[in-house]
Amino acid sequence: MDRRDDQTGGVGSATQPQGDVAVAAGTPGVTGKLQYERPSASRRFIRRNALSIIMILPLVLYIFGFTLLPVFDSIRLSLVDRFTGEFPTTSNYREVMDSTNFNRAIRNTLGITAIGVTLELIFGLVIALMLARAFRARGFFRSMVLIPLGVPTLVAGAAMIYILGLQGYLNEILLRLNIIDQQILWTVEGWRGMFSIAIADTWKTTPLVILILLAGLEAIPGDIYEAADVDGASKWRQFWDHTLPLLMPAITMAVILRAIDAFRIFDIAIVLAGSQVPVMSSFVYFEYFAGNLNGASAASTILLLMIVIFIVLYFLIVERRRGDV
Amino acid sequence: MATVTEPARRENPAESFLYRLRNSVFTLGFVLLAAFFVAWFVFPLYILFKVSVSQPQDVLTQRPPLLIQNFTWDHWERMFNLDRILPPLQMSLTVATGTAIMCILIAAPAAYAISRLPRGLRYGIVLALLFTRMFPEVTIATPIAARFYGWGLSDSEIGLILAHMIRNLPFVAWILVGTFQVIPVDLEEASQVDGAGRISTLVRIVFPLALPGIVVAAMFAWLDSWNDLLWAIYLLPSEFTLPRLTYYYAARGGFFDVATFSVILTIPVFFITLFLQRYIRTGYLSGAVKG
Repeated sequence: MDRRDDQTGGVGSATQPQGDVAVAAGTPGVTGKLQYERPSASRRFIRRNALSIIMILPLVLYIFGFTLLPVFDSIRLSLVDRFTGEFPTTSNYREVMDSTNFNRAIRNTLGITAIGVTLELIFGLVIALMLARAFRARGFFRSMVLIPLGVPTLVAGAAMIYILGLQGYLNEILLRLNIIDQQILWTVEGWRGMFSIAIADTWKTTPLVILILLAGLEAIPGDIYEAADVDGASKWRQFWDHTLPLLMPAITMAVILRAIDAFRIFDIAIVLAGSQVPVMSSFVYFEYFAGNLNGASAASTILLLMIVIFIVLYFLIVERRRGDV
Repeated sequence: MATVTEPARRENPAESFLYRLRNSVFTLGFVLLAAFFVAWFVFPLYILFKVSVSQPQDVLTQRPPLLIQNFTWDHWERMFNLDRILPPLQMSLTVATGTAIMCILIAAPAAYAISRLPRGLRYGIVLALLFTRMFPEVTIATPIAARFYGWGLSDSEIGLILAHMIRNLPFVAWILVGTFQVIPVDLEEASQVDGAGRISTLVRIVFPLALPGIVVAAMFAWLDSWNDLLWAIYLLPSEFTLPRLTYYYAARGGFFDVATFSVILTIPVFFITLFLQRYIRTGYLSGAVKG
């Protein structure tokens, strides 16, 4: 293997430039041996892995230049005063914290995350448990509940425009069932707005929760249930005593991953409720387009902090247990 | 075991009756629940399609009907006649395809190299890839949009492709590390013993074997780019992709345009996802979606 690697690093064991000169002079073998010097450890590492390094480098550079640098750039911008150019300053953070819209955005984002993740978990768990059983039309049922995977997030938001609008179909159904006697405007500030966006998010992302939980269920060994059957435990007891505890890792993973995504919710919120119901991401977007680059950066840095906390949780709780890729 | 317990149950008629009753109540509940969930997942799509083929009086009304009455292709015809669909469709297709190709070109070699690293290092790199995908995109988008504007990359396909690669490169690399990892190193060594160089081994042996994985990864990147709204509204002040145009109409209350465009957007996604379904594993999921 190693000898093959050297093909890209130079000729034989000679240091590269000298090796090339030697080749040019037409006496590769002899000159190479004469000029032999043991290269330093780091150079040997680079030479041996030259091809690997060349292959990985573009990816690393791209992520560095287009993800890490912009993140640091954002943090730097958030510390520059918008008018005086003073650095560092907390003026942007104070301005953002004082704005009503930002406080609404934080409240909405937390509310949507709480409502959405709860609904997704309940729906996902029930459906995963249903799918874990054998029944006729199981394949059909599975395809039906996975439909939203094949629908763009933006479209999930757009569909809800027609359902949650004043003359929308949710109101229509509720009217027909005589649950309400007056049409309700759903996509307004407050719990109704949070609920609307959370419902759209739930519709779109429940399939992912289903798949995560289903994988968790399939990993539970079947003989546990056989033993419980012999002991005469009811299905209900079996669920609480065996299924739920063993499913906990999958549930934790689903909750944290969904929470991270719910914090970043953008497409659905902006299509369904626009600036009516601001969330963190859409607040940043509106600030940016109002020309307040520094305010947008400050708000997005706060969002970044919230998410980093969840990422750390994810790595501490989920990935540490998994061990390998 | 079942053969022992079940006849025992049948011996007692009362217990058998209760048992069957409980069973049928359970079955009924199960069917009702399943029906509810199917309706819940299908209903929004049905509504979208319905609006796109309904006449205005059936939508812009106090009490919209639930079934399709007065069927019409008007909105669809208008969409295709007015030349409104072609430029954004072309833009969407170019950007999505460009993103998929560029992602593979950069991520595939990297993923191969990562897959041949020692286990601990490999694990660390894959986690780091996962980590970069979880950053809030608006945090990255603010400085990028400002910089791209300065570089004259606003309203250009290249700018949008570069932006979509941000989200997809780590994801594609992540899928491909898994793909390359299952290709045995012995195969490469055998090929090198036969005298092939390392690069020709890669091109002739490794990449063809990884082709299915590469195609799947490319499709994921294509879909993600096709669906993207966030970068399109940050980087396209006056040009449109399909999602950007859908949002444009949504913000102006264009009921029928939004529904029609939504259906158009969904069709390719739906079929590609149908194909991809069996490749969607838990491991992919954490990165596969955005909020």
